[in-house]
Amino acid sequence: MEAASTKGVLSHLSLLEVQARSRRSRPQQQSRVTELKAKVEALKVQKEQLEAEIQTHQNLQKLRSSLDKQCADEDDVEMEEDSENSELLRLMARHTQLKDLLHAHHLIGGYDVIKTRQGKGVCVSLATAYEGVYLDTYNLEIDLKPAVRISRHNIPPFIPVNSLAKENNMQTHMRAFLDALSQHLNAFAGRKQELKLLKEQHKSVEVMESNVLCSILVLMFTVPKEKTAVLCTLDYIDHSSCLPKRVHLECEDKQLPDSPQWKKNCSLLMETPVHTALTAMRKVGDIV
Amino acid sequence: MSVENMEEVEVLEAQIELLQAEVEALQRQQQDNQKDMTFQFRGQMHDAVASVCGLGPGGGKERVLSRLKEEVEEMEEDLRQQTQMNGISLTSCTAKTLQSSGRKVVQQLCVSGRCSELDFQVEFKLSELTTDQRSQRTISDLNVVLDSSDLQNFSSFVSSVEESRDLLLFFRTLRTFSDRCDDRCRTFQHFQQKYPSVVSLPGGCRSEVMALSHAELSGCVLFVHWSVEVSREGGVTPKIELLTKIPDEALQLFPSRPVGGATEAFQSLLRILGAEAAIESIIRAISLQQDV
Repeated sequence: MEAASTKGVLSHLSLLEVQARSRRSRPQQQSRVTELKAKVEALKVQKEQLEAEIQTHQNLQKLRSSLDKQCADEDDVEMEEDSENSELLRLMARHTQLKDLLHAHHLIGGYDVIKTRQGKGVCVSLATAYEGVYLDTYNLEIDLKPAVRISRHNIPPFIPVNSLAKENNMQTHMRAFLDALSQHLNAFAGRKQELKLLKEQHKSVEVMESNVLCSILVLMFTVPKEKTAVLCTLDYIDHSSCLPKRVHLECEDKQLPDSPQWKKNCSLLMETPVHTALTAMRKVGDIV
Repeated sequence: MSVENMEEVEVLEAQIELLQAEVEALQRQQQDNQKDMTFQFRGQMHDAVASVCGLGPGGGKERVLSRLKEEVEEMEEDLRQQTQMNGISLTSCTAKTLQSSGRKVVQQLCVSGRCSELDFQVEFKLSELTTDQRSQRTISDLNVVLDSSDLQNFSSFVSSVEESRDLLLFFRTLRTFSDRCDDRCRTFQHFQQKYPSVVSLPGGCRSEVMALSHAELSGCVLFVHWSVEVSREGGVTPKIELLTKIPDEALQLFPSRPVGGATEAFQSLLRILGAEAAIESIIRAISLQQDV
């Protein structure tokens, strides 16, 4: 009885297994078809969505260019026929235009002003660039109320922020102050960049001395034939300029600084960025 | 598997292949579009695109619309602020992507606008190169167009800016130049209102010339010539001169310094008193006013 029942259970189990297997394989075939059908549906939806997005893009582009034209001509051109989405599309087109205009303000060296503390203060950014390459950006936090005052900034300590604020009357002429500061920062960034380019492009010229403000630069040149050394001091007295106001030469050959050729070199160094001036001097064979 | 099923599967697979090809083509077109339109859609704009395409998230069009409106208003306010702070009003900025390959994006930008009374347009290429979390932006092929008649003094500066690609310097100088011109205009208008019988502005208040004459001194005219010079390096300096137009007979009667040396005398006045006071003293002189 026990044995029979055991056998009965086992055979029943194996029967169930066979049934289950066959049941599973049929739906498998079925599910392959449904799977593919689902995929077709999904792709159709994706296609429709892409088509709709591309259409929206085109509509936006059209609206945007008519917006740009309007701005240029100050002409009120009637928009296209109103569809249910026209207001939204118009807003979107204006959004893209505003975004581009704000980006342009940033690119042309705008101060990227942000109001802080419910309008009681502002944050401004000062961009620097040299020969088309954007360099460091500095930031200032200025209190407007109760009094106009610089509260925080990340400008190097050797840039005279406070005296520039006083000189330009920041209280009443915020922009004049920012312009002057921007000029100083750009001149500093420019001198720093020139020094970097000088070191990269003129390995044979030795930089004997320079300071953090890059306002003093002492260089050593070698005159090719005689192999004499020339010590050249560039003095950037005007810290708001990238060009030195004074160039001084020292050489064992006392005649050299007074020679017409080296006088010409001196004025070249005062009129052109130092790395380009050196390239010119090397070309004519005045320095190694 | 039955034959029927096999056939169905084959048909479906062919359909899928076709659809996939179509989707890929559309995706490429969309990418091209996004290249041309420099903006990428995020945040509210993303929702708005979805809504226009009928795929909006819950909440419907109304909510998408009001949220986008809010964002656009914030941006309008932001633009007003930047315009006020920068003293430059931008009217249009169009960007076209020339190259976009992974780490390097090159765009052609055209920005136009106005600074005080000066219309400008700048065109340049902007390259953005991303390397290890840092991005380097560079401007090249800068081209500047200024729309104004009396800008000979600007031309050498503009060519030097184009050469050095110094966009920041250009706008800083443009602004300073406009500010100095506005100063001049204000001063001219002030004197014209204060001394209407003596002061006239033959070229309008924005011109460089102010004429001074008096009814009792017919034939005698003094001109204040006030120009704003821009150096090649971008330095802006006002230059004020006094020119005289006095009939020969009068000169013969008074060959002495007060008349003949007026131009030089005015320069000393300028140095001592500054522009406004120097001009005012000349005006009072020609008004035949007695200093009390």
